[in-house]
Amino acid sequence: MPEISVTLTNKTGLHARPAGAFVKTAKQFQSDIKASLNGKEANAKSILSVLALGAEQGSALALKAEGTDAQQALDALSQLIHEKFGETE
Amino acid sequence: MKLEILAPFTGRVLPIEEVADPVFAEKMVGDGLAIEPAEGVGVAPAAGKVAVFHSAGHAFAVQVTPEIGVLVHVGLNTVQMKGQGFSRLAEKDHDVKAGQEVVRFDIPAIKAAGYSVVSPVILPDLPSGYRIEKTTATSVRAGQDVLLTIVRA
Repeated sequence: MPEISVTLTNKTGLHARPAGAFVKTAKQFQSDIKASLNGKEANAKSILSVLALGAEQGSALALKAEGTDAQQALDALSQLIHEKFGETE
Repeated sequence: MKLEILAPFTGRVLPIEEVADPVFAEKMVGDGLAIEPAEGVGVAPAAGKVAVFHSAGHAFAVQVTPEIGVLVHVGLNTVQMKGQGFSRLAEKDHDVKAGQEVVRFDIPAIKAAGYSVVSPVILPDLPSGYRIEKTTATSVRAGQDVLLTIVRA
C-alpha cells in the first residue's frame, strides 16, 4: 500500500478551503485514502474527518492509499499540498 | 427520521449560493444556509460532540450522529484573524447541548479587519439517502429557530 509523508506549508493549514480542495481531489480516485497526523487517522474523502485532524502549518501528514489508482491519488494529493492548495499566502 | 438543526446565530438568513466565497457558494464543503449574525454569539446547532474547533476559534463542527455533522464557520476568511476577536466557550471533544454557547466573537472587530461576518452553516459529507429542508424564514434566533431539517430522501 503506497504511503507518503507531506508537510503542510500553507499559512492556515488544513482549514475549510484547503480541506474542501483536498477532499474534492481525494474523491476523484477510486482508492481508499487515509490521512494521519500524530496517530489520528482521517478518511481523506470526509470533510469533517479531515478538519478534525486540526493540521496546521508545519504539520506532517502521513497519506496512504489502497486501490487501483492509489499511487495517482497520493501524487495528486501531495502536489496539491506542495502547491499550498492554490493559496497565495 | 427528521433531524432538526437549529440556527447557531441570531440574524438574517441568506442562501448558501449568495455567500461571497466559492468554497461555500459552490457547496465544496457541503450544502446548507448562511446567517449574517446580529449578535456575536455562536451556539451549538444540535446536541452532540464538538468534532472540530479550529485553533483560531472561527469555525467549529458538532457531530450529531455518526453520519451527520454540522460545520459552523463564523465569517469568511476569518481564519486569517488568528483568533483575535474570538473567545472559545467549548473545546474539541466536549459534549454540547443544542443552544449551548460555543463561541463569542466581536462583530465590529471582524468588520474593521475587513472581513465579512456572513457565516455559513453547512452539513458536510451528508450521506446519500438524506436530503436537507431549508427554512424559509428570513431571520432566525440562535438556539431557538430551526435552520435546516435533515430527512430521509
